[in-house]
Parts: sequence; C-alpha cells; structure tokens
Amino acid sequence: MTFRVLDPTAGEPPATGQRAPRLDTLKGKTVGFISNGKEGTKGFFGHLEKMLREEYGVAKVVSRTKSNYSAPADAHIVAEIRQWDAVVSGIGD
Amino acid sequence: MQLQSKIYEADSVSAVQELYHFNGWTDGLPIVPPTEDAVRACLDWVMMPPDQLIGIEPVRGLAVTAEKLAINAVMAGCLPMHFPVVVTAWTAMMQEPFLMHGATASTGGCAVLVVLNGPIRQEIGASGTFNALGNSDRATAAIGRAIRLCLINLMDVRPGVIDRSTLGHPGKFSYCLAEDEEDSSWKSLSEQRGIERAASAVTVMAAGAPRQIMNEWTTRPEEILETFAAEMRANLRHYSIHPGNYAIVIPKQLREHLQAAQWSKSDIAEFIHQRARIHRREWADVGKGAVVRDRGDSVYPAMESPDQLLVIAAGGPAGGFGAVIPPWLGNKSHAVTVPIGACIDCEPAKK
Repeated sequence: MTFRVLDPTAGEPPATGQRAPRLDTLKGKTVGFISNGKEGTKGFFGHLEKMLREEYGVAKVVSRTKSNYSAPADAHIVAEIRQWDAVVSGIGD
Repeated sequence: MQLQSKIYEADSVSAVQELYHFNGWTDGLPIVPPTEDAVRACLDWVMMPPDQLIGIEPVRGLAVTAEKLAINAVMAGCLPMHFPVVVTAWTAMMQEPFLMHGATASTGGCAVLVVLNGPIRQEIGASGTFNALGNSDRATAAIGRAIRLCLINLMDVRPGVIDRSTLGHPGKFSYCLAEDEEDSSWKSLSEQRGIERAASAVTVMAAGAPRQIMNEWTTRPEEILETFAAEMRANLRHYSIHPGNYAIVIPKQLREHLQAAQWSKSDIAEFIHQRARIHRREWADVGKGAVVRDRGDSVYPAMESPDQLLVIAAGGPAGGFGAVIPPWLGNKSHAVTVPIGACIDCEPAKK
C-alpha cells in the first residue's frame, strides 16, 4: 500500500534582508553594540571595545541595551543604527 | 481548493515514520500519516480553505495557514473535532503579548500551556479530573502535541535550531488541560478573563514545568493557599524574581475547602498576591548573593497584580495536592485567552 503524505513544514521562509557591505577598515569608524543585557554581555562587550579601540583604531563605540532580552531590539535602537558604520549584536548566554 | 503542500509517497507505515523522522519533522515519537483526506477532514470541520491565514508570527514574519496547522494536527493524532482548539491556540500564540519567538527560542525552556474552557471540553472528551496535568485523555494529549509539532515544523523550533532550551521539560511533548467546570462553583478561567461562560475558549501561557504541592492537614483557606504561595516564593528564589502570569491548579479535595468557605477565585488571587513575594536579599540564601547588590530590602511580588494569577480547577477527586505553574520569565510573555469560533469580522447571517 502506498501512502501519499503531506509536507508539514512551512517551506521557504521570506527573505530577511541582505548583508550590509563589508567595511575596508575599522579605523576611525563608529561601531554600535546592541546588548541583550544579560550578565555575560558585560565582560564580552567591555573586552571587545578595548580590542576595537586599541587594535583596530575604532574612533567611537556606542553601547545600547535592549529593554527585553527575549524580544527584537527596541525601535529607537534600530533607528539609531544608520548613524553607525558597523553593529555588533551580542547575547549573554 | 487544492492543498498546496508537497506530496511524498511511502510504501508502508514504517516508511512514513522514517521519512518524517529523517527530515526532522517529529518530536521523536511516531506520527499519524497526514494524508490529504485526513487533512481535508480537519479543514472541513473548521470550514476553512487550505490557504486561510491564521496569522503571521510577529518577530520573523512567518505566515501560518490552516493547511499547515491541519497537517501537523493530524500527525499529532488529532481528530477533526480537536482542530478548532489547535487553530484557536495558534491564533492566541501569535498575538504580540505572547512573544512566541522569545518564548519558544529561549534557553529558559518553557512550553506552551494550553487551557480549555467551555462546552468544547465535553464535546471532544477533554477531561479535567484524574491525571489532569498528565495523560488524562486523548483530546488534550493530541492537542498539546499538535502545538509542539506546529512549532517544530512551521517555526523551525527544533532543539539546537530556533529552540535553544538548556533543559526544556516534559510539557514540551504536550501541555494541555481542561478545567473541571462541572465540579466547581467558581467562574471558569476564561470567564474570569472576560469571555462569556457559554463560549468555549483557549488560554495559552508560556509556562515552566508544574511544581506539585501537598497540604492535606488543614481545611482553612489561608493555610491551604499559604502552601501554594510558598511554592511560588521558592520559584522566585530559585528561578526568577520577575513578576508575571503564574497558574495554580487546585484539585477537588482542596477546592472543596475553599469553596465551602466561600472563597472565590478573586479572593484566592488577592491572598496569593499578598503572600507570594520575597525580599531580594533572600537570593543570598540560595547562592545568588552576587546579584542582591544594594537592593536587598526591595520586595518582589510573584505577580504585578492579582489578575495575573490564573486559577484553574482541575485534578482527580482525591488527594490534598495542587500545582503551581510558573511563567517562562516574568512579564516577557503574557497569557492570552481567545474564544473559539467567535469571528469579529464575519458577515451577519443572511435571512
């Protein structure tokens, strides 16, 4: 006996955007950090900022923290992204 | 209207099982083969075309159609008469306050607790008595499983993919119970949450595993409820200090003492709200002194207000037990209640 059964998955998900162009250098750039606010993010972003400034010559680091670490970044943070050259989004688990 | 899903052919029942397991489309248990006839029977029961849009998951923008829910419901073992509950639960889960993406992706590992109220419980044989939080009956077992299979297959909520749970809990196989409305003088949960008693309704909550309590040595409401409150304080100490929706399940033996003393669900919630709270300094007692900081005297209630407590009458007739079901993580997700089959934009009936 042959069973004809149906695919239970949703299929292809919608396009979620494109990768931003890569930067040639980080020197003199502004990098934004979007933290989910968990305990583990503090050490991580602290060290990353030091590396970016000292080893890569980043001019400015802007740190923002989401109001809910389980939800997407708040609208005002997303709006701010366009003023930065690069973004690092990190979770603290 | 034609079904849109891709069709696979398999030579035997075991070949169907291997096809679905191999593709990661199951929860690890065998599934019922979702044939076109079985899926159509579900859609016919709810009078929905296959492409009926049930909703769009707000964070990732994924659309959920009736056809896909029906396929997964059949796989879970649902009969067509169970399908309205699955559709309504998913309608509720996709509302923003539920924060489905966060709740199902989180390391916290919660499951979706589904509570049934109203006449549909009896129509489908959903039992709110013996073993209410376990394998009490076919309807709640299959409906709860359907919720999880839909998450796995429609949202990629697979372990290690979107589901990042550290531990999870057994409710992630199935976590559905019906309230025992027939053996209770209280308002039903959905009535308490604003739905007409005559309507059937589904409440969903992002929930941790149930924590069982026992107190069979008193008839006084304050003492009975103190045991529930103590378990909630334990959760505030050992798990999360954030306030949110808690559920308590009160079986008949303890319920009768409360009802004999004329305590309503609102009275219970008021009492619990006063008692289920801790000082932040108590975290130091359980090894979390590092996060007490200078806020040791701050008081943290389990709920922001009494109406955040979901009081559910369910459980077998004997035993001085009860259960506290904690939230995934405070107010990050809110319980949502939706009536079954109530259409706010349907056309009026033609005369």
